[in-house]
Amino acid sequence: MKISRRLLDGLAILIAIVTVFPIYWMILAALKPPGEIQSLDQRPWTLAPSLAAFRRVIAVDDFGRYFLNSVLVALVVVVASGLCAFLAAVALTRFRFRLRTTVLVLFLVAQMVPIEALTIPLFFLVRDIGARVPAVGLNTLGSLMLVHTAFTLPFAIWMLRGFVAAIPEELDEAAQLDGASRFTILWRILFPLVAPGLAATSVFSFITAWNDFLFARTFIISATDRQTLPMALLVFFKPDENDWGAIMAASTLMTVPVLIFFLLVRRRLVAGLGGAVKD
Amino acid sequence: MTTVVAEPHDRLRPRRRTWTPWWLLLPAVVILGALFGYPMGQLGLLSVLDFRQAQVSGGQPTRFLGLANYARIFGDPQFWSVLSATVLFAAACVVATLAVGAGLAVLLTRISKWPRLLLSLAAMAAWAVPAVSGSTVWMFLFDTDLGLVNQTLGLDGVNWMYDRYSAFALVGAVVVWHSFPFVMVTLYAGIEAIPGSVLEAAAIDGASTWRTFWQIMVPILRPLLAIVVIQSIIWDFKVFTQIYVMTRGGGIAGQNLTLNVWAYQQAFAAGEYGLGAAIGVVMMVILLVVTLLYLRTLRRTGEPL
Amino acid sequence: MRLRLAAAAALALTLTACTPSTSSPSSAPSDGGARTGTLKVWLFDEPNRAPKEAVVNDAIAEFTAAHPDTKVDLAYIAVDTRSERFKGAFNDPASAPDVVEYGNTDLPEYAAAGGLADLGPAVTAWPEGADLGADARASATYQGTLLGVPWYVGVRALYYRTDVFTELGLKAPTSQAELVEAAHTVRAKKPDLFGVAVGGKYTFGALPFVWDAGGDIASINSAQSRAGLKAYTDLIKPDNCPPQQCADLTGGKTVELFASGKAGMAIIGNFNRAAVDAGAAKGKYAVVPLPGTKPGSIAPAFAGGNNLGIMRNSQRPALAADFLTLLAGKKYQARMYDAMGNLPTLKSARAEVAGKDPFLQPFLATIDAGTKFVPLDPGWGKIDAAAVLPTMIEKVATGKATVEQATDEAATAIDAALGS
Repeated sequence: MKISRRLLDGLAILIAIVTVFPIYWMILAALKPPGEIQSLDQRPWTLAPSLAAFRRVIAVDDFGRYFLNSVLVALVVVVASGLCAFLAAVALTRFRFRLRTTVLVLFLVAQMVPIEALTIPLFFLVRDIGARVPAVGLNTLGSLMLVHTAFTLPFAIWMLRGFVAAIPEELDEAAQLDGASRFTILWRILFPLVAPGLAATSVFSFITAWNDFLFARTFIISATDRQTLPMALLVFFKPDENDWGAIMAASTLMTVPVLIFFLLVRRRLVAGLGGAVKD
Repeated sequence: MTTVVAEPHDRLRPRRRTWTPWWLLLPAVVILGALFGYPMGQLGLLSVLDFRQAQVSGGQPTRFLGLANYARIFGDPQFWSVLSATVLFAAACVVATLAVGAGLAVLLTRISKWPRLLLSLAAMAAWAVPAVSGSTVWMFLFDTDLGLVNQTLGLDGVNWMYDRYSAFALVGAVVVWHSFPFVMVTLYAGIEAIPGSVLEAAAIDGASTWRTFWQIMVPILRPLLAIVVIQSIIWDFKVFTQIYVMTRGGGIAGQNLTLNVWAYQQAFAAGEYGLGAAIGVVMMVILLVVTLLYLRTLRRTGEPL
Repeated sequence: MRLRLAAAAALALTLTACTPSTSSPSSAPSDGGARTGTLKVWLFDEPNRAPKEAVVNDAIAEFTAAHPDTKVDLAYIAVDTRSERFKGAFNDPASAPDVVEYGNTDLPEYAAAGGLADLGPAVTAWPEGADLGADARASATYQGTLLGVPWYVGVRALYYRTDVFTELGLKAPTSQAELVEAAHTVRAKKPDLFGVAVGGKYTFGALPFVWDAGGDIASINSAQSRAGLKAYTDLIKPDNCPPQQCADLTGGKTVELFASGKAGMAIIGNFNRAAVDAGAAKGKYAVVPLPGTKPGSIAPAFAGGNNLGIMRNSQRPALAADFLTLLAGKKYQARMYDAMGNLPTLKSARAEVAGKDPFLQPFLATIDAGTKFVPLDPGWGKIDAAAVLPTMIEKVATGKATVEQATDEAATAIDAALGS
């Protein structure tokens, strides 16, 4: 049964609206005056929009700094995680060696532990590493980059494994017969073909690093200028006295860059294979 | 680094004999080894010790407890009820997320450009919102007296969080809302990677979308699906923020506690790191068993790992 | 093969990780440390920080003027991150500050971790130290040692809707019985309002009832505690605040309900004034102390608040004490009241602000009637984290357990936590 494209378009738009409605509500709450956020008369609009909440958020000391810190950490994590994962994925699919399954499963196991359980050991680890390599010690952005790369690697490896595995080995052989070096095969052939997978894992890595609250508050203790964006959000949580407007405003400001990042990699995400692998 | 590649299997790649896979694996292994291996070892160690904040700051000496922490966990009846609730909740979330994600991934391949962009953006927004913010907004929307949903539908005074199952259902919906974009994006990328000729052939043969999906896409996407399922299981089992925020710390008399929230209340928030480590080990073992079982079923259906 | 791997892993584990990492406590210099240099201070951030910042900056200016060659390195930390920050500071002395602001309920936890310095001598030597209320001092004392100077407190009282009361011919309640009766009347005559907004998760709303009956957290299953608990849970009934809607309310939610006009009364704090004024209840409410069972009495309120303290591994304790006593002095406490609405802890400062704003009367009266505190035991952190008290209230409110069963269960958990 062929459903008309129009109907499907309509369905997609409907689903999009339902999905995005809570986001709309979040932005709306950021613009509403405090009395309207918690009121007996909720409306999907406000007649008295105000940017006061956004101003409160931006007035947080060093807000711009937090923003840049978050961007830096997230981008580094995306690149580092993607690279290491790509190499590891190639190793785990293109080769067969004895420990292969074990290594794969070990990578998976790494994700099964609840992170809260690891914070104390990680704290001391980072502190001790920082004694030798100051750039990644406590109170540095390097520690966040390192930890997030580590925690996004297992998923990225597993994900890219699937994409690399989907590329037929005949392609490598064809290239080899043409005289391509290993390096070329790796970077000129395999890398572009896993682009969609890389885009997906890069979005995942970005979001993981960007929305992290736990490590940011565990490792950055005294250096307030190295804090990341979630810290700006947490300022407005005070037991029994939460500033909902500012929380919503800060959440909005945190969501926007991720959407921008997504728009940037979107093209890659759906990049076709250009017919290279098709029969 | 010695070559670990076994010769007989590489009959097609004589040139790669000298290229060891360990070079490629090195960066990942080093990072993970350092940042996981050591803390995991410590985790196992801490789980058999009496280790609290006082011990951490060096105020008091650590004591070896043997398996006392584990005994405490397994002997607590609340652990078992929370565990079963978590398993059921996670299972429901995984199934729902996969259904929604896969369905929308297929939908994305069949619609025009602008609706596709809109839907992708909407999904990305849901994925991008920090879990704490998203949960808070949903909590506002479904608030008993001050929420839009109740006011619009005229459901005066209906507390979605009062009944255990409606609370789990609502939180589950939020978890699915946060998680389906990942499934959708991943599967969409996978579907787009399927050679167009294969899908055209199916279309020429007159296969419906449903059959195309199950009999052509799923087999090709199986490796990807496996990962997505395993990831979803792991994440939904460990779900914390949505439950904690929306049920205000576990619901009425803890009826909506999941394992991670319970662990937080019993151990991490109370500074009982030894107990927390033990719970962490238990959770890891449970997930490991589940995952290995799943992988074994996959292997039996012929999917090479 | 697997077995060998497992064995190797286990061996590696035991070899490399025989002892868990800890930090070693450093000791403070016995002479009080240097009197110059940089003093690191941590204060709590506020959703609206500017007024607080202005006051603190003045204090810093006065301090640096009086102490040559000193600087103050001030950092504002979000309240929600305090747990990780303080633990980080205890575990990594290099990151630790000298002077800290901390929540008074966190005191036992920090004390057990050995992180705070003894302030007894400093406060004794401080002229204004004698002016600290006895209750306030007690709340900052752990096992006989004074580990902080209370900087400000917040207490809860009974807010009520003057327009609703006038309409229904009710007077402000002066006893618990009157409170209950007023609540029932409001609910009966105006079914879409709650009489008094109470919640199952609102521990500090329930405890005054327990304390007023003569009960206590440490003996939560005594006859008096049970009577107090029953008085509170009897309010979570359809004739006031039905369990369906109220069993899982937090304190914050009751604030929102009162502010939005959904409740006739609420037991909320002086610090919730701004939130109430932002809502529909603005200009239509008044405040009286929460009455006790005896007519004319006031139920003991929980005195939440923040203390100022000095970290034990501070290298400049004498300098820190100077800054602390300056900031905690009458002058700046009064200014903090102006800036943030925080109630001062020094009696003289309280007297000064009392005259300024009649709104404060019920709250000051509540403080003067005697406030209570949570058990000063590191185990309190466990009880709080495991939500023992809210669970107890909720079980009774939803009928899942009787008062006897719920209090017995809670008592077991509390005894286990406090004893360890």
